[in-house]
Amino acid sequence: MNFRAYVFRRLLLMLIVLFGVVSITFVVSHVIPADPIGAILGPKAPDEVIEKLRHEWGFDRPLHEQFVNYIWNLLHGNLGKSIRTNRPIILDLMERFPDTIELSTASLIIAVCVGIPLGIVSACRKDKIPDHFSRVFSLFGISLPVFWSGLILLMVFYYRLNWLPSPGPYSTYFRPPPVVTGFISIDSLIAGNVGLFLNHLEHMILPAFVLGFSSMASIARMTRSSMLEVLRQDYIKAARSKGLKERAVVFKHALRNAMIPTITIIGLNYGSLLEGAVLTETIFAWPGLGTYVTGAILYLDFQAVMSTTLLIALTYSLCNLIVDILYAFLDPRIKYG
Amino acid sequence: MEKGLTTNMVVVAVIALIVGAAIGYVAHVPPEAPEAPEPIVPKLLTDPDTLIFGTDFSESVSLDPARAYEFWSCQITHCLYDTLVTFEHGDVTEIYPELAESWEVSEDGRVWTFYLKQGFSFPSGTPVDAEAVAFSFNRACKLEQAAGWILTQFGMTDGSTVALEDYTVQLTLDRKYTPFLFLSCLAFTTASVVDPVVVMEHEEDGDMGGSWMTDHSAGNGPYILEKWERGTEIVLRANENYWKGVPSLKTILVKQIAEPTDQRMMLERGDIDIAWDLPADMIDDLKGVKGIEIIEQPVFTQDYIGMNVGVEPLGDERVRDAIRWSIDYDGIVNEIMKGAAIKLQTFIPTGMLGYNPATPYYQNPTKARELIAEAGYPDGFDIELAHAAAPQARDIAAKIKSDLAKSGIRVTLTEMTAAMMYEKYRAQGLQLVLGGWGADYADPDGMAKPFADGTIKQLAWRNMYYDEYATNLTRGAMIEMDTSKRIEIYAELTDYILDHGCFAILYQDVHQVALKTWVEGFYKCPLFALENFEDYYKETIYVLP
Repeated sequence: MNFRAYVFRRLLLMLIVLFGVVSITFVVSHVIPADPIGAILGPKAPDEVIEKLRHEWGFDRPLHEQFVNYIWNLLHGNLGKSIRTNRPIILDLMERFPDTIELSTASLIIAVCVGIPLGIVSACRKDKIPDHFSRVFSLFGISLPVFWSGLILLMVFYYRLNWLPSPGPYSTYFRPPPVVTGFISIDSLIAGNVGLFLNHLEHMILPAFVLGFSSMASIARMTRSSMLEVLRQDYIKAARSKGLKERAVVFKHALRNAMIPTITIIGLNYGSLLEGAVLTETIFAWPGLGTYVTGAILYLDFQAVMSTTLLIALTYSLCNLIVDILYAFLDPRIKYG
Repeated sequence: MEKGLTTNMVVVAVIALIVGAAIGYVAHVPPEAPEAPEPIVPKLLTDPDTLIFGTDFSESVSLDPARAYEFWSCQITHCLYDTLVTFEHGDVTEIYPELAESWEVSEDGRVWTFYLKQGFSFPSGTPVDAEAVAFSFNRACKLEQAAGWILTQFGMTDGSTVALEDYTVQLTLDRKYTPFLFLSCLAFTTASVVDPVVVMEHEEDGDMGGSWMTDHSAGNGPYILEKWERGTEIVLRANENYWKGVPSLKTILVKQIAEPTDQRMMLERGDIDIAWDLPADMIDDLKGVKGIEIIEQPVFTQDYIGMNVGVEPLGDERVRDAIRWSIDYDGIVNEIMKGAAIKLQTFIPTGMLGYNPATPYYQNPTKARELIAEAGYPDGFDIELAHAAAPQARDIAAKIKSDLAKSGIRVTLTEMTAAMMYEKYRAQGLQLVLGGWGADYADPDGMAKPFADGTIKQLAWRNMYYDEYATNLTRGAMIEMDTSKRIEIYAELTDYILDHGCFAILYQDVHQVALKTWVEGFYKCPLFALENFEDYYKETIYVLP
């Protein structure tokens, strides 16, 4: 089996996974003993109005009929309408997902740029001060709760020092750019609004750092352990005994081979970052997918929950596929098929 | 060599950290010419033309007056549209004409004729006339969305509002209602007047423009909706042709800031002008802080314990009375609500016509135990208290459990999402419930029906409570034309429900708002979402360069 066939097979398997996710989500959302219409209308709405809307939204139909309708609409590219926002869900997702992608990507860049060097230093200076520093730093990253670290950083850098801006995707004196791609950074540049672009980046620093901190920690730990493993190998000793410079030994011979587990971690981290981070988004008033889906869950907006879950499953599967493909580029011994 | 490598790695890591800070530093320099509607004038301490709210409006569904029912949906809608009649400056005891010049009622009290002011038009040029009013009311009745019942409760249907002449409109109700009740409902956002031409231009699949109206405006109010950026902000722009005069604040920004700590920090730093959702302890901290003012206003919402009379032993009036005698009301108001509530034990809140200040109940476990013993439960009894999964509800429920335990009542707390709790509540499936209720309109009928009339599927019904005497008093007050007689009826009714009903009312909410002292003219209306933003303005403050 060649590379193309491998990718094709993986994509087919992905479809099965997605169907499974959709089915499970549908069943789970519909067995909850609560009425979405009642939830959205609140305690004061008269029963007659609830009944009328339940009928209009099709919630009074048999479960299997609702499921078939949902799948049929899905196959036609129709994700349905949200009972909470009263809009097509595709519009909601197109509005929220770019914000999540921007934040996740920025977080991952910070995590990778800091995590990998930290892991390398830690491995090369095992049990020395840099290693201890790196391990404690990683421990903080993994164990510090976001709601604490986020608020403390805001308190220090925004409230006290005023070095960084207030929560939110941009300052109050800016208006969002005309929507072209949905990404504020790109759209502001398209609109020629460099001030907004820079302001948006500035607003992204703290949430990206907070969100990336735990990923950074896991990347650093994984890099350290896999580097330690590789640095013990005979071919590294051979390289050193040949008189190669340490830099060449570490970067050319050790790092590339140590990257496979790290790449896996990076891929998985990116996948989970793209799910949206409710706490980070709430603390930094970031309009991402996390707060959207949390609101949808609280208001029993099944259609929105199912569509968001589908999107997350798709994103996660794609991240995994990309990681698997990257293995072959990093290690020529890996062949597909 | 190895040391050199380590140094390089450290340098790379440090550089990566510094890059972020560098971007921040560069970006932090105030933009020279942002593409914002109003450029920043460096010497101004705050932009006097823009008012910024920090709040959580994530529950908002739609800005269509026929659908809007959540707080911010209604508040924004109130700014975008005018109604026939209105309240002014937070006084909800007096009705004032808005689009209506005058009105009259037929002898049988069923037919209302409104004579409209003339010479106004919507931004599209469509006149604000009787056709527009008839279209708006008939549309709300036809769509019958969340808040449609505000009109349909009077028997109004699609077609019961008719344009008699260009500026004369007639509304036919199913029966006589006391005028203040009907007029106060006409002041609610459901009765907003929309531009029929613009709305119908955007109709899809017979929705009468409902989808489009979700995040667009077609009104004649003091503000026009510029943009609703979901999850980020709602932007309102002043209507330059507003017939009452152009609002002082040209832009209203409602920012989505869900976290109260963020709201507080942003208020103190001056990035927002008004923090809308601060908890009582933060409000306490801000009292006395220079440049910040706290506004506290009792509002028409209250929390209560509902007792399902269909569940033994709650059917026994002595047991319900024992529960009322078991609760430490002062403790809840002072220790848990900490200033965000005042004591209230009758169902008509302070500030509303017919308010009954009686608060006879206090924590008296001895009396409660006697009543329970009289009812045949000398060893007490077990009961379940349902409450919503929210921090405040959790604290109050725990307090109630501890209070009732002193009287021998063993309470099991059941926490569930609000949606699940109300689902069970609607099906009369709860024993004790910690619930809340708020008035949608300023007339006491909006409180009497749910709390006293067991024939309507509202609170009394959900607790399986029906009392003919209470029901008759409620219905009598609804059609009584003489205000002083109505007050007498409500005094009798509130006293009766206080002692015989199925509720232990815990407190009336006080909405606490923190704002910058440069915001002027601010008031908090006791009624749901009826603040007039056009009454607010900001001081122009210059700071020394």
